[in-house]
Parts: sequence; structure tokens; C-alpha cells
Amino acid sequence: MTTSTAARTHSAPPAVSSNAFTNASTGFGIMVRFILRRNWLRMLIWLVVLAGMVVLVIDSQRELFPTQADRDAYALVANTPAIAALTGLPYAAGTLGGILNIKLWMTMAIALSFAVIFLVTRNGRAEEEAGRTELLRAGVLGNYAYSLANWTVFSAFAILVGLASAGAAISQELPVDGALTMGASFAATALVFLGVSAVAGQLTRTSGGANGLASTVLGISYLVRAVADVQGEGENASWLTWLSPIGWAQQSRSYADNNWWPLLLCVGAAVILLVVALALERGRDLGAGLIPERVGPRSASAALRTQTGLTIRLQRGSIIGWSVGIVVFAMFFGGVATAMADLLSGDSPIAQAFLGGSKNILDGLLGFFLMANALLVAAFVLQSADAIRAAESKGRTEMQWSSAISRIRWAAARMVVPAVWSLVLLAVSGAAIGATFGAAVGQPDQAWRFLGASVAYWPSALLVIGVVVLCAAVIPRAAAAVTWALYAVAVVLSMFGDLFGLPDWVINNTPFTAIPRLGMDFTVLPLVVVTALAVIAGGIGLWVLRNRDMTSA
Amino acid sequence: MTTSNAVNVEGLEKNFGSTRALDGLNLTIETGTVAGFLGPNGSGKTTTIRILLGLLKADGGHATLLGGDPWKDAVELHRRIAYVAGDVTLWPSLTGGQAIDILGSLRGDLDRIRVEQFLQRFDLDPTKKARSYSKGNRQKVGLVAAFASRAELLILDEPTNGLDPLMEGVFTECVAEAKAEGRSVLLSSHVFAEVEKLCDTVTIIRDGRTVESGTLAELRHLQRSTITLTLDGDPSSLETVGGVHDFVADGGHATFTVDSAALPAVLAAIAPLKPRELVSTPPSLEELFLRHYGVHPVDGAGSEAPQAEAAQSEAAQR
Repeated sequence: MTTSTAARTHSAPPAVSSNAFTNASTGFGIMVRFILRRNWLRMLIWLVVLAGMVVLVIDSQRELFPTQADRDAYALVANTPAIAALTGLPYAAGTLGGILNIKLWMTMAIALSFAVIFLVTRNGRAEEEAGRTELLRAGVLGNYAYSLANWTVFSAFAILVGLASAGAAISQELPVDGALTMGASFAATALVFLGVSAVAGQLTRTSGGANGLASTVLGISYLVRAVADVQGEGENASWLTWLSPIGWAQQSRSYADNNWWPLLLCVGAAVILLVVALALERGRDLGAGLIPERVGPRSASAALRTQTGLTIRLQRGSIIGWSVGIVVFAMFFGGVATAMADLLSGDSPIAQAFLGGSKNILDGLLGFFLMANALLVAAFVLQSADAIRAAESKGRTEMQWSSAISRIRWAAARMVVPAVWSLVLLAVSGAAIGATFGAAVGQPDQAWRFLGASVAYWPSALLVIGVVVLCAAVIPRAAAAVTWALYAVAVVLSMFGDLFGLPDWVINNTPFTAIPRLGMDFTVLPLVVVTALAVIAGGIGLWVLRNRDMTSA
Repeated sequence: MTTSNAVNVEGLEKNFGSTRALDGLNLTIETGTVAGFLGPNGSGKTTTIRILLGLLKADGGHATLLGGDPWKDAVELHRRIAYVAGDVTLWPSLTGGQAIDILGSLRGDLDRIRVEQFLQRFDLDPTKKARSYSKGNRQKVGLVAAFASRAELLILDEPTNGLDPLMEGVFTECVAEAKAEGRSVLLSSHVFAEVEKLCDTVTIIRDGRTVESGTLAELRHLQRSTITLTLDGDPSSLETVGGVHDFVADGGHATFTVDSAALPAVLAAIAPLKPRELVSTPPSLEELFLRHYGVHPVDGAGSEAPQAEAAQSEAAQR
């Protein structure tokens, strides 16, 4: 496809204008069509999933809070530190639109921002890294045409998803002005991160680096606004919220105030970031990054010369990133639980009413946090074990498998790393939740109870490894898509199964929900079953891997 | 099957779905020799090599590598061989030096002194990250790792892809040294000059089948030499001599080809004409090769197959 388009650019009319910008953007239209052709399916899937979620959540919340009295009752208890920290300060919680924002706004804004970051990098820095941009730029193509086309297509995509979300809300009979403000706030958030991703793509030399840098900015923006919302009074966040683009978009307060002016901040930031990206691109060579490439050691250390050492070295950045992220989130979960515990043990009648079965609700919430934490660890495990597939698809196995190491031993090293590190992560993050929670309630020994309940999810992590190996062996080309899809299904069933009204036997038997939760009676059987499944999947996977042909890169 | 052969492949077959990649391929490498492996893109060279490396499993035929089964004994055999792919793929975040060490350690014979020598000969900076290497530099990483090893058999799949002529010269030296050390080499290549200079035997394949195989001298023997001469008289009488083909005369210049067997008779016929100049050129490898893929590809394959088998059995008897 690349070559055919490259050929087409040759037949484009030569630039006759002497205007520098026109020259620099020659071929823009062709590039827009080229990028659309390579990405339309991805964009369509994102659009359908995101807009579909709006419909699903409105529908489920309408069922959950059918009468105005239900919604008013909910509004009285909605403003908890947990809600504030995770999804933002609730406002207008007595309306269906307000409830939609509490349940979905943050998810939508973050998901769309991630989509735009990945898409811009995929078509920008990743193409440059693969050398395909060189092919295009050698044709009759203006210097900026490709990047401008890239940013234009995905800006349009962000706006389209915003419009589709608004349309979905309007179709569910939510107020039109509120729905439009909400849609605009999604698009505005995504536009800022489109700009961030464009700049990141100029700074780093690799697509992984660009995604990492842009995602880090997104993560910091999220945490800054979380702090601002937790520090807020009533429905108003602290001034810190103005330091985060996500905070700006939140302040549009759809379905309540419908402020459009904070969204202008987002659009302004996006424009500035894109201008900066363009200026950076002008000042650098094709293929280069502004963060210089460092030289490395001329020989491999003894540790690097072992398979496990090599695996750890190759995943070093990812392991550190995930570990820091997971522990920070664990302490965050623990901190939120502390604040909730204060609320629940307080004398307010609402808290007393909400408490119901006293400690059980608290334990239920903490158990939910532990499972969510285990799901995060599982995402790390999936990404780490996926190295088995990735090495083969990138052609790196050819030299390694023709060395004196069996494929089973080779794969085992790539399984041991996520297996061992997931155990460490579960233990540390579980203890972190327990410690931060225990510190608040004056029971420091809580850490041990949480550590135990968290480590109980280790078999689930092992099952993820087993399934990844099985897929990498049996369906090497589709493995990445299939394993991540399975993971997404597991997350949705485990965390939101109730929301979709699925039967209990499904909700309670995912590899994560089957594990006894904190506060529930501990039984060892589910752990044994999940471990056995992990061993079977991994065993079959290794056997197939040993006995099949290597797939060509 | 003789134990003195580093590689013995007979009737090798491999299918990818409905595509027949190898269709009864034969290949023999005597221990201590350099074997050229020629064929156009898609003819099955890389598939054959991957079967020898135990990366693919053959569907039929026999393959023996250093006396073992390339699929079952893969790990043990891999200690004794070194492989350079046509497109060396490295870990982007590691340096070339690290990659060489890792490959050497996997084989278990990492020798830093030798690595350092070959790094200098190939003029490779081992402190750069693999992702910043050009294609040629990535090939150098593979070549340094292979030549620095103590492997008995070097399997090189179009190894000079992307190397500059200077480095091709270094490569030629290194292969010659490896041979002098008693190692065997399988060299798949598109560079005829390289193969002519280095290889003791040549195997030419087409559509997954061996069409020519033997020493260069043997292959040449089956082909005609080209003779160009200049004389004062009229050369046209030579046209009717038995064994002379493709005769072209232009005044006192004549060019024609001669069957090897008819050479003495033709020379006897030339002598009375008192030529002032005579140049006899044996067929180049390129000509041998192109004969199989040239104007009459189907005829070529059909008529050459028996020759190939004859050469094969000859090689096996030695």
C-alpha cells in the first residue's frame, strides 16, 4: 500500500506556487486519504465502542435509578473522596446527565486521549522509525504535508467521537446543550493530547518512547486533577485543577453549567503544541529525535548473557514503569479507602444508612480495589509475556533459535520474568493498599491481611502467561489482538459485569472474580483450578512452540 | 551418507500451504570446503537453510547436518554452527557489542579477543544501539559474531547484503581463513564473483529443485568455452569444424563457442590459420547460472536435471 501511494505521489502535479507554505504542504490531500485508508477500521472501532458505551451506561443508570427520588438519594451520597479521586467531583448528581458524567466522563476522556496518542504515534513516529516516511518524503511531497495530514485526520477523529457521543446521549433523551458540551469536552481533552503526542513524536527517536512520553503526560494530568478534586470543597475543585488539561475539560461541567470557555483553553493548548511540533520538525533531520541517542557498552555483562537477564534488560523500562505506576495507584487506592473509612465511621446519618452491613461494605470496597489492582498487574504480565510473540514477529527469533538453546528454554525465560515479578508486584501493591489504609484506621498490621489477599491473585497472573504462550504458539499472527481482547473481556466482566446485568455464574467465574476476595471466606480450590488451567495452557503452548515451524517475519 | 560430509541433503521437500517451496532438493557439503548455493529469489535457498537450522520441519526427504538430525538434535548441533541471516535482526535497544556477546554466549564459545579482532577488521563501532545501525552495519554484527565463533560449520545466507566493496573484500578474506582452519561453509549468494572466488563446489537450485551441482571445473566441463581470435586470413573455414557453435566472423576477427570435448580438434584446425591472437574464456558462473533461468527456462530445467544428478552422484562418490 505504501509503495502504491508513493507511486501516486509521483504523478501529483508539481508545485507551481512560490508560497513556502503551499510548497511545504504539497500532497496534503493525498496523504489525508492515505492515512484514512490505513486507519479507517481502527477509527471506526474506537468510535462505535466509545459512543456505544455512552448508550449502555445511560441505559443501565436509568434502570438503576428509575425515579427522581432515587437520583436525589444517590446525589446525597455521591460526593465521596473515592469518586472525587477516581472520576472527578460529582455535580448535578441528581440528574441522569450528572450520573452519566460520574460513571463515564473520565473513562471516555482518558480512553479517547489514549486512542489519539497511539494513532498519532502509529502514523507519525512509528512510520518514520520504519523508514516508510523516507519513501514518501522522497516523492513530490511537501515537508509538512505528512505530519499535517496525520494531525488533521486524528483531530477530525476526536471531534467526530465527541459528536457521536453527544448524539448518543441525545438519542437517549438527555438535554441537547449538556450532551453537546459533554461531547465537546471529550474532543477537547483528546485534542490536547494529540498535541502532546505530536511533540513527543519529535523528541524521541522511537515510537515506544513517543507513546511513553505522551502517556506519562496524560498520567500526570490525571493525578494532578485527582489531587485537585480530592482537595475540593463541595462541588468545586481546588485551583490545582487549572494545571491539568483534563481539569480544564472537567470544568465545562456538562449537564450543569455547560461552560464552553474552559474548552477554549484546551483548543488553544492543542494549537500551541502543534505549532511547536511543526517548528521542531522543521529543525531536525528525518529519522532523528531531539533527545540524542546515547552510546552504550561495547560488551554484554555476565547477567545480560543469560536469557533471564536479557529478558529483564529488554523489558527494563517497561518493568520500572509498570511497577512505579502500580504501587502509586495502590497507595492511591489505600488513601481513598482511608478517606472513605472516615466517612463511613462518621456520625452522619447518611454514612450510617450507607453502612448497612457495617464492615462488609468497607471490605467489599477494599476487595474491589485489590481485584482492580490485580487486573493492573495482569496487564503488565500480558505485555511482558507477549515478548515471546513479538520477538518472533519481528524476526528476532531467527538468530536466537538457531543458537544452542531450545525453544522451550528460550520461552521459559520470558515466562519466568512476568511470573516472578507479578508475585512481587501483587505482594508489594497489596501491602501498600493495606498499609495506607491501616495507617488511617490505626491498624498497621492490616498490611499483612491485604498482602495475603492480593497474592491470592497470583494464579490469575499465571493463567494470563499460560494463555499468552498458548496463543503465541498456536496463532502467532493473531495472538496480540486475541490476548488483549480476552484481557479486555476479563476486565469488563470482572469490574463491570453487574453493570451489564450478566448472570452471576459468568460474573463470579472469571479468572479474577473466582479468586476469594478480601473479607470473603478463603477457599483454596479456585486457586488450584486457575493454577491448573495456567499450567495446562502454558504446557500445550510450549509443546506446540517446540514442534511447529518458525513463522517468517 | 558419508560422515565426511558436513551437510547431506537428499530429496528435501517442504510445502507452505499449497505452495511447494522445496521439491526434492539435493545439497552436499564436504567437510572443510566452501559450498556456493545459488538460485533466484524465491527458489528455496532460505527455506533450505532454515530446515538445516531446525527452524522449519521438512515434509519429506533426508537432511543430515554434522552427522545429526537438524530438527531433533537442533540444540546440540547449534553449538557447532554459526549462522548469519540475510537480514540480521537485532534488539533495537542493545548495542552491537552486546548483541555479539549474547549470540556468542548462546553458543557457549564467546571469545572476546577474537570478537575484538573481527570488530576491527569489519570496522564496526560496537557501542552504538542496534536501532541506529544501517543495514550493512547490522550484517557486520552477524558476521563478527559468526567469524569470531569456533563453529565447525558457517551457514551464511546472502551475508554481504548491504556491505560496501571494501567490506566484501574483508568478508572474502574471512571465509578463506575459515576454510584454512578446516571449517565448512555454506554460502548462499547472488554475487557470482564472490562465489567463483571462494567456493569449491556450487549448487544451483530453481523452484525448490537442484538443477546443477558440482565443482566449478565440473560444471564448466559440461559447458562450452568461448574462443575469440584475430588472424590475417579468412576464418570462415572454422565454422564447419565439428563442435563449433555460435560462429560470428568480422574480417579477421572471429568469435565462437566450443564443446569441451571438441577442443583439441578445433585447436588443430586453428593452428594452420596462424592466428595472431587467441583468447579462450571458460564459461563464467554467471553464464552457467543464467542458462537455467534464461531464454528457455522450461527446456533448461528438463534437460539439465540428469546432468545435475550425475554431478551429484559424482560428488557423493568422492
